[in-house]
Amino acid sequence: MTKLLEVKNLTMEFGGVVALKEVNLHVSAGEIAALIGPNGAGKTTVFNVVTGYYQPTKGDVSLNSQSVLGLKPNKIARLGLARTFQNIRLFGDMTALENVMTGADARNKVGLIGSIFGTSTSRQDEKLSHSRAAELLTFMGISHRSGQLARNLPYGDQRRLEIARALALEPKVLLLDEPAAGFNPQEKVELGELIKKIRDAGFAVLLIEHDMSLVMKISDRVSVLDFGQKIAEGTPSEIQSNQKVIDAYLGVVDNAS
Amino acid sequence: MSSYKTVLSKINLRDSFGAWWENATKRQRIIFRVALIGLFYALPFLDNPIIGTPETNFQSVLFYPLAVFVVMAVGLNIVVGKSGILDLGYVAFFAIGAYTHAVLGTFYGVNLWINIILGAAFAMVAGVILGLPALRLRGDYLAIITLGFGEIVRIVALNLEFTGGAAGIQGIPAPPNIFNVTFDVLDPKPHYWLMLTFTMLVVWMYMRLGKRRPGRAWEAIREDEDVAEFMGVETTKYKLWAFVLGGAIGGGAGAIYASQVASILPDYFTLNVSILVLACVVFGGMGNIWGVIAGAALLQYLPEKLRFLSETRILIFGLLMVVMMNIRPDGLFPRKKREKVYDKVTGQEISR
Amino acid sequence: MDFSILWSEFFGLTLDGIVVGAIYALVSLGYTLVYGVLRLINFAHSEIFMIGTFTSLGLSIVFGYTGLEEPLGIVLFFFVFLVMALASGIASGMSAVLLEFVAYRRLRRRGANCLSSLISAIGASFFLVELFRLTTESKDWDFPRMLSKDPVFSISTAYFTLDKIIILLGAFGLMFGLDRIINTTRLGRGIRAVSQDEKTAILMGVNVDRVISFTFLLGGVLAGFASTFYMLFYESTKFNVGFLLGISAFTAAVLGGIGNIRGALVGSFVLGLLQQYSSVVLGYNWRDVVTFVILVFVLLFKPTGLFGEAIQRARV
Repeated sequence: MTKLLEVKNLTMEFGGVVALKEVNLHVSAGEIAALIGPNGAGKTTVFNVVTGYYQPTKGDVSLNSQSVLGLKPNKIARLGLARTFQNIRLFGDMTALENVMTGADARNKVGLIGSIFGTSTSRQDEKLSHSRAAELLTFMGISHRSGQLARNLPYGDQRRLEIARALALEPKVLLLDEPAAGFNPQEKVELGELIKKIRDAGFAVLLIEHDMSLVMKISDRVSVLDFGQKIAEGTPSEIQSNQKVIDAYLGVVDNAS
Repeated sequence: MSSYKTVLSKINLRDSFGAWWENATKRQRIIFRVALIGLFYALPFLDNPIIGTPETNFQSVLFYPLAVFVVMAVGLNIVVGKSGILDLGYVAFFAIGAYTHAVLGTFYGVNLWINIILGAAFAMVAGVILGLPALRLRGDYLAIITLGFGEIVRIVALNLEFTGGAAGIQGIPAPPNIFNVTFDVLDPKPHYWLMLTFTMLVVWMYMRLGKRRPGRAWEAIREDEDVAEFMGVETTKYKLWAFVLGGAIGGGAGAIYASQVASILPDYFTLNVSILVLACVVFGGMGNIWGVIAGAALLQYLPEKLRFLSETRILIFGLLMVVMMNIRPDGLFPRKKREKVYDKVTGQEISR
Repeated sequence: MDFSILWSEFFGLTLDGIVVGAIYALVSLGYTLVYGVLRLINFAHSEIFMIGTFTSLGLSIVFGYTGLEEPLGIVLFFFVFLVMALASGIASGMSAVLLEFVAYRRLRRRGANCLSSLISAIGASFFLVELFRLTTESKDWDFPRMLSKDPVFSISTAYFTLDKIIILLGAFGLMFGLDRIINTTRLGRGIRAVSQDEKTAILMGVNVDRVISFTFLLGGVLAGFASTFYMLFYESTKFNVGFLLGISAFTAAVLGGIGNIRGALVGSFVLGLLQQYSSVVLGYNWRDVVTFVILVFVLLFKPTGLFGEAIQRARV
């Protein structure tokens, strides 16, 4: 299976603090991979490094076998890596449709000059962004919100919108940062189905999540971080019975939450 | 108390106009546009006791401050309103455009039409020189640097022989007659029409950008620049474009201004002007071009109409900025339907 | 560029630099404290200072000292000076609290972004400047010389006049007092907590509104005292006195690392000295340009300042 996203020997230091130490991860086509670990283990840092927000101290990140080190985040996004955020970060004063169109725009060629002169390519691009965005809103089940301001959407729809926006980039790998936070059990089940639907539509998914039952149910493979290091990797059942993981983490989690 | 609020909330001009516009046929829309544009061109002839300004010539008021500030507000709107880049030195671009025509026109005989383009071009260059390093900074630091830039341009104009020093430049030429219309200091009408045409060109250009990819990119940058990056928006490029386009508009307007007033002083390009333009953008509705135009027109017209406002203009504008940000941060004519806002601490709805 | 005066007047310039630096320090603390808790540059802080100068001036008029021909006796002077300083401190402090309440509180409550707060700050600043311009007729207002400016002693070219000594002692005393407040009182701890992590501070039961009001009060009171020192030293004020002084104090805060108290102090003295030295080397007209250049350079090349942390971007 092709490794779409590969993280090799990643070390990230902030001043004296070692946030990540020699972490190796990968996400292959057609799979849902999960990244779990106690709070502060460095999971979101992995996302931040991989998407180009931080430059790692050591190690390499490659997308489709091409290194993306040193590239700006917007370039990496357009190469095929899209993400959502732990605390939802939508463009509040823009409508849901506009939010998703911003992502879809990244797929288009025409920039500023073309838009001023209203070339036919720019008009086509505009239609394309519009229809792609509308499709994605429908796919995520929130097309009825399309004209509403993002900041006024209910919580669940905001999370969905964030995912739709990320999908608009047509990423090779979709990074989801705690997508289930704040959901009740029913909603989490629906989210799980949605993520599987996304995977089935051809996207690879890397998921950070605290809800163990969700992770175990939908992931193909789980990696565990603790204090910035990967301590285990395997199928959900392997991880659940891994003593190191239990010691670090699973032992204290109340599965009813 | 509550009854007047309910009455006011029913009179929502924006929505009722919006509703009419949605349902209007293409023909109706064209007629509306033509009528509106016709009205603007006809304004100089509509001087009467009701609309007219008591102490200054209405026609000259139409040019300055009205048309000048409206077009500058449109330019600054791209930078501040749409993209969220706080520029406190916008007057610098205006000054650059004005001095371009003043110097090249008076001393080298270059005509206004070329100088409008050159003025805009020089302003754009200045925008790039300032923008490249400064746009990397956080909002508040950026604001201060732009403020400094505005002051620096004025101080340079004040001290250079080349720009006439403290005495400025006099005898700035107006363009030669076209269509039998004479451009001179005495009759502000042709210059007003020229500025109006310039403004419409600018608005036309803006319409093409605002609703499309650049507009979305700018708004995304304003809403959350880091996230815009993650969503594939080339933030550096778009920020620079916003800054530079805003500058070009200011520069072009400056050249036309210099032509009309025929003599300029560095004193005409102070920090106060930047703040006045900013107040127009804030008052009218950040990001909403029609709101900004209406707001700018209103803010510049009222002090002319009501003399007592004139002396205390900046006082009121300062107060206005505080009030607007606190009570109606979306501006007088908000871009979208005014939706509910909730108090972060108590969770209760803050009524507007 | 003339360095000869620099060497010959070195001690004098250094003394003056430290005195001016002390005044800057008191004002820059206001910028840095507010930035620490709100992440906002309080543009109107310069006007808070200006209000203080006019308060002292007003008192001098009320006491009947305009057109004073002879300095007051030492004891009387101290009494008068103390009253003025306290009055200015209170006036500026309360103005600052009022400013926060009117211009910033609501924006903070609804989580408004940086841009709105900045615009509100600028609006407030301009409002205050214009208000004073209109009421003081845009002219320079002189402060009577209540204290003799004969040097008490001197070290080389540094002439220690009584006003300079008072300013230095007073400023250091206030800074010491501030240090005690920040480190020992509950509200002081609140300031430190909110500066570091507002959300946790709320969870720990810190009343953020009160802490923020207190921060503004502190900054305002310090600026108020500074304004009286300023009047003592420069003996004149005008409606726009805040602008240049504010730029200097703000530059000092940025130079030291905005948000960092120690940095604000160091930055202020460094800037005070640089201004004095450069004014003889480059000429007096260039003094403010130098301040500005320092500000721009620091912002462009080392925005964290000498001691600050990189608060450039929000954490993702």
